[in-house]
Amino acid sequence: MDITSIFTQFLSGLTYGTILFLVAAGLSLIFGVMNILNFAHAALWLMGAYFSYTFWNLMQEYSFAFWLSIPLAGFAAAAVGWFLEVVLIKRIYKRELHEQLLITYSIALILSDTIKLTWGVTNKLIVRPEMLRKPVFIFGSPLDSYFILVILSGAAVAIGLWWFLKYTRYGHIVKAAVYSREMVAALGIPIPRIYTWVFTLGIFLAGFAGGIQAPIGSITLGMDNAIIIQAFCVVVIGGFGSLLGTLVGSLIVGEVMSFTILFWPEGAMVLIFVITAAILIVRPWGLFGTPMRT
Amino acid sequence: MKNKYLFPAALFLLAVVLPFIVPEFWVHVLTEILIMGLFAASFNMIFGYMGQLTFGHAAYYGVGAYTTGLLIVKANVPLLVCLPLSMLSAGLCAAVLGYFCVKLRGIYFAILTMAFGQLVYYIIFQWYTFTGGDNGLQGIVPPAFLGKAANPYYFFTLIVVTLGMIALWIISASPFGYTMRAIRDNAERTEFIGINIQRYMHLNFIIAAMFAGLAGALWGPFNRSVAPDLCNWHHSGMPVFMTVMGGPSNFLGPLVGSAIYTMLMAFVTSFTEYWPMVSGIVIIVVVLVMPGGLLGLLGEKLPFLRQNEGNAKETKG
Repeated sequence: MDITSIFTQFLSGLTYGTILFLVAAGLSLIFGVMNILNFAHAALWLMGAYFSYTFWNLMQEYSFAFWLSIPLAGFAAAAVGWFLEVVLIKRIYKRELHEQLLITYSIALILSDTIKLTWGVTNKLIVRPEMLRKPVFIFGSPLDSYFILVILSGAAVAIGLWWFLKYTRYGHIVKAAVYSREMVAALGIPIPRIYTWVFTLGIFLAGFAGGIQAPIGSITLGMDNAIIIQAFCVVVIGGFGSLLGTLVGSLIVGEVMSFTILFWPEGAMVLIFVITAAILIVRPWGLFGTPMRT
Repeated sequence: MKNKYLFPAALFLLAVVLPFIVPEFWVHVLTEILIMGLFAASFNMIFGYMGQLTFGHAAYYGVGAYTTGLLIVKANVPLLVCLPLSMLSAGLCAAVLGYFCVKLRGIYFAILTMAFGQLVYYIIFQWYTFTGGDNGLQGIVPPAFLGKAANPYYFFTLIVVTLGMIALWIISASPFGYTMRAIRDNAERTEFIGINIQRYMHLNFIIAAMFAGLAGALWGPFNRSVAPDLCNWHHSGMPVFMTVMGGPSNFLGPLVGSAIYTMLMAFVTSFTEYWPMVSGIVIIVVVLVMPGGLLGLLGEKLPFLRQNEGNAKETKG
């Protein structure tokens, strides 16, 4: 195998890792702050993809349709997330683990069928603008030009989130809440409101990721089934509640998938689960996480 | 204490009489209720009695189903020999994977069991030459003496499931079962009285997996085929719903939950394809409105359903 094909494979792994990062960042944030493992996350990601299709479809005659539909998908998904938090998720923060998992799992089931009811069973396709249709050549290896956009927007979100957590007041509150909710509450910060907004932010990221994912291929029902499990693996590998961990975890999963497919396609997912299980056994809190309070 | 056996006996009688009354379609549903009920009861050995949530129990169910499926299709082994072998293979898998799982607690236990479950799923899914991959295995026929009608296989299932449930009952009522409850309620104190809690949990994990494997073994000949979906995490969610619906603090809760869930599914899918949505709504309502499950709710009203074990789960705090 020559150096160009290795580079191509690396870039496609990087693209996949970026999508995973966008999905897993919200998942990790929600788990880190509220201790809720959100099974519905990927369903909301898929919903974001469908939202972006609808927006794109509505504005098709304008040249900005493609560009605007992606962030709009994030906001539309965030609205759904906000509604779910206020109506349902709010009630289960103090419940037991299995009840929380069952509720978010049920939401995933309901959302999947809602998507089927709303958008039907036929695949949806977003046509990219002219400039994103041709491959670009990087060091002589061809790359889908849209992948560049995916990687750049992933980097932008990573930097934005990092800035938010490091330099804003709300970011500090969120980070503090990952360590000790009791202390944050004791300082007079309204925890329920913080929860609502953290959940909404997490779902915004999922919807945005869906919007980014949509133009890669066609949007199909059931796409969320594979990605939710991989996003769990990312979060486990990186550590719950750690942004850096999620970034590293998604790049590991993306690259491992991308390279394993070359010489052992059947083993790609198996290898991911072996890595995940190994991390859980040796370091349950992940590469960059901190041991959880119980 | 005598009326402790009243409810199980009544259920058993009902299970014997029903297939002669209801149409054949519902006999199939009853068979499914029994198989899934045993699966859910085995799950509850880990969830209700050991206090850990496993989200990968379908892996052992699937291993059992594939063991029987492969033995029947490839080697024509009699079903009665397949059943214990399925328990053995599921138990061996659990002996290896469970060794790591029982080191973790709570959410980490749930995620690791799920990761291992998906690992088993992808191995079965991808190993075309041996398991048939996503085509699954077809042509798993029940032995000739059970014929082709629904009733004989139903009664065969009833006997196997009843024996399985009795075995689980004996285990849960034994000193071993009470040790599990002690570990659930306070692992630290249990360790202080000199019990190797990890070894006990590992053993319990293996037992639970063996009975899940037995339930899986019954599935193949019933459905005439097995598919890798039997092992994936969606299928691991089913015993969780069933147990929560029926009531985890009652030994028969998972079986009752299986009856509710399976009948509801048979009923709803007869007129709409949106069963996932309906089931999602039902689960949300159950979790929010009756956290103790049906038997937990009824147990408050009808004391004879309650089992004399002090339901320590409530006092965990």
